[in-house]
Amino acid sequence: MAAALTLEGVSKRYGDFQAVRDLSFQVEKGTICGFLGPNGAGKTSTLRMILGLQAASAGRIDILGSDDGRKVRDRIGFLPEERGLYKKMTPVDAIAFFGALKGLPTGEGRKRAREMLDAQGLGESRNKKMKELSKGMAQKVQLIASVVHRPEFVILDEPFSGLDPVNQQGLEAMIRKLAADGATVLFSTHVMQHAERLCDKVVLLARGQKAFEGTVAEAQATSKRFLELEGAIDAAQAAALPGVSGVEVVSEQDGVRVLKAALGQGGRGQEALKAAFLGGLDVRRFELREPSLHDAFISLTGDHPDIDQSVKAGAEAAR
Amino acid sequence: MKRIMLIARREYGAYAKTVGFWLSLLAFPLFAVLGGVLPALMMSAEPVRNVVVLEDGPQAQGLAAAVQGAVRLEQERRQARMAEATAEAEKQGGQAGASAAGQALNRLAGLRLRIVATPAELSAAQPGEAREAIARRYLGDAVPEADQLDSVVLLNRIDGKPAARVWTRRATDDTVEDFVRDVLKDANRREAFEQAGINAAVVEETERFRPDITALSPKSATGGEVSFRDRLPTIIGLVSGFLLWSLVITGASILLNSVMEEKANKILEVLLSSASATEILTGKVLGVAMLTGTVMLVWGGIGTFGLLAANAETAAMVGEVLLDGGMLGYFIAYAVGGYLMYAVLFAAIGAFCETPRDAQTLMGPIMMVLTVPILVMVLAVQTPDSPVVQILSWIPFFTPFLMSARAPSEPPMIEVVGTMAGMFAFALLMVWIAGRAFRAGALSDVKLSWRGFAGAIRGGGK
Repeated sequence: MAAALTLEGVSKRYGDFQAVRDLSFQVEKGTICGFLGPNGAGKTSTLRMILGLQAASAGRIDILGSDDGRKVRDRIGFLPEERGLYKKMTPVDAIAFFGALKGLPTGEGRKRAREMLDAQGLGESRNKKMKELSKGMAQKVQLIASVVHRPEFVILDEPFSGLDPVNQQGLEAMIRKLAADGATVLFSTHVMQHAERLCDKVVLLARGQKAFEGTVAEAQATSKRFLELEGAIDAAQAAALPGVSGVEVVSEQDGVRVLKAALGQGGRGQEALKAAFLGGLDVRRFELREPSLHDAFISLTGDHPDIDQSVKAGAEAAR
Repeated sequence: MKRIMLIARREYGAYAKTVGFWLSLLAFPLFAVLGGVLPALMMSAEPVRNVVVLEDGPQAQGLAAAVQGAVRLEQERRQARMAEATAEAEKQGGQAGASAAGQALNRLAGLRLRIVATPAELSAAQPGEAREAIARRYLGDAVPEADQLDSVVLLNRIDGKPAARVWTRRATDDTVEDFVRDVLKDANRREAFEQAGINAAVVEETERFRPDITALSPKSATGGEVSFRDRLPTIIGLVSGFLLWSLVITGASILLNSVMEEKANKILEVLLSSASATEILTGKVLGVAMLTGTVMLVWGGIGTFGLLAANAETAAMVGEVLLDGGMLGYFIAYAVGGYLMYAVLFAAIGAFCETPRDAQTLMGPIMMVLTVPILVMVLAVQTPDSPVVQILSWIPFFTPFLMSARAPSEPPMIEVVGTMAGMFAFALLMVWIAGRAFRAGALSDVKLSWRGFAGAIRGGGK
């Protein structure tokens, strides 16, 4: 499949601070790619370089066959991380204005705006002022404004932030439709659940460097399966079970502990459970968990406290 | 170009479609008219005070007559002035205009006090506490309204010098007090001259004397006597300078706030993904220029219409100065250069700021620089060739305002061409500098400082 976007050895430096270091990856046409990383990993800087808003300090970027995002800006749709529209404009006027900046005739822009707002359940709000809309509504309007000109490549910077679960689902559906209509979608997020559900491919970024590039399944395969045990048992007893390693105590209350342990390659949960019963361990809960993208992310980027905190916060936000 | 026009149109519409814009647009001429008319209206609405003048004893003899004489003299003087003004109005605007002017002047020029007959019980009362008690009663509501007085002046002498106790209905009204003070000063001077052996008629004649002065200049239209027409360009120059300063600063401030709002609302980044920084900056500068142009057209239209309605001859003279004298051309050229310089600078500052407080860091020194032309403007009109004015005119930041003010005095062509070329060259430099700063500021989260601003210009947002 042909690449819609290629980055080769891209770096970005602000004075003494290295925001992005030697970053290379590709996004194939018509796919949804998740650009994952904790806050401050360099995602926004990379997206700005792709768009041509900032120059790369080193490396090469090719988007839609051009080495400068500014030359193909009319074929790109962009939703920035921090969103805002003219507060006194109506949604229809705002969408038509941003469409016109991308070369869409104003009349056609207004027509499409009305259709898209209706499709998103915002038909009744189309003539209200932006300042009268809720945050979720305003974000939908902004997303529509960024894709009203039917771009070939859509870049969404943290599109789910600040949205409630219902609106997050709606946004996921919009992203799927964009890809189904043939657009290539690159979106950044630190919420792994969205990436798990949406992406054909993910690129993990940590401290400005690429930590992984591949499918979600490939990412998950890089991490070990986990056992979660709950009962009046200690870490040494759990570590003695077959195939189990890296036991850690998650919580402890009144002598009852929750333990988490990795199940090694070829390790079988049934054997560990059988050994626990035969050993007479007081096990009240035994759960075998397949690694999530979240686990893979932790495993790939290292258990850095900042990263872990950011990812956990993202996971909670998604829930 | 299409993007530039789209951004300009949105910028223009964002302000021009608001009621507030049109209200503030019309407020200036309205307040200008009110500022001129209101004091006159207040003066004509001022009541004429009924005043009683009494001499407290024989030692004050002659002082009451002095006050009465002064009132009569002042009324005659005002009548003469009014007759002169009416004649002038008749010469310029015909009989109807003269009649209207005469009536208006009559209302405005009349003395706001008149001496009325003294109530019998007041004149019969003994000087001192008894008379003052009665005077106090006549100033209040204890007597019928028709008999009430506004002021009672009790004249006397202290150590042989004229003095007075002035009772007034309102404690804050000092009109009668001031008038009496002037009369007694004159009376004292007259008495002093007479004691020195100078004839009273000579003293009075000297006081009545008004010198006849004729202003002449070889540069006047007739080559001799200076007329209002000769002074008109100077007035227009001064007004142009102030108007230009006001329009440029207003336009640039609108731009600063607009960019600041877009930065705060995170719209700039979306715009930057759709248009280049140059297109955005140009579009916004153009949009606000269209707004400023609208303001100029509306103010110009109101001014022209108002002047034509009030005095067609003066309107024709103003038109002649603006069109034949080339003032309009100068005004437009300096407006374009001045606006460009300040607008792009303010826009670049706005790109770094999210609140007016952020902008204060940079705006403080700029506003200080901007006060200089205001301070020098009057000097530039009165003595356009003074070295200070000439030197300051060459500084591009001051050129538009000072040269607008100097233009009517026909400065040397080398100065006109040189300062204008310098101003436009500097404006282009500002566009280049501001463009780089704007691009850097639009995507920056850095708190603004002069150091950061200079760094942004060097880096150009790369």
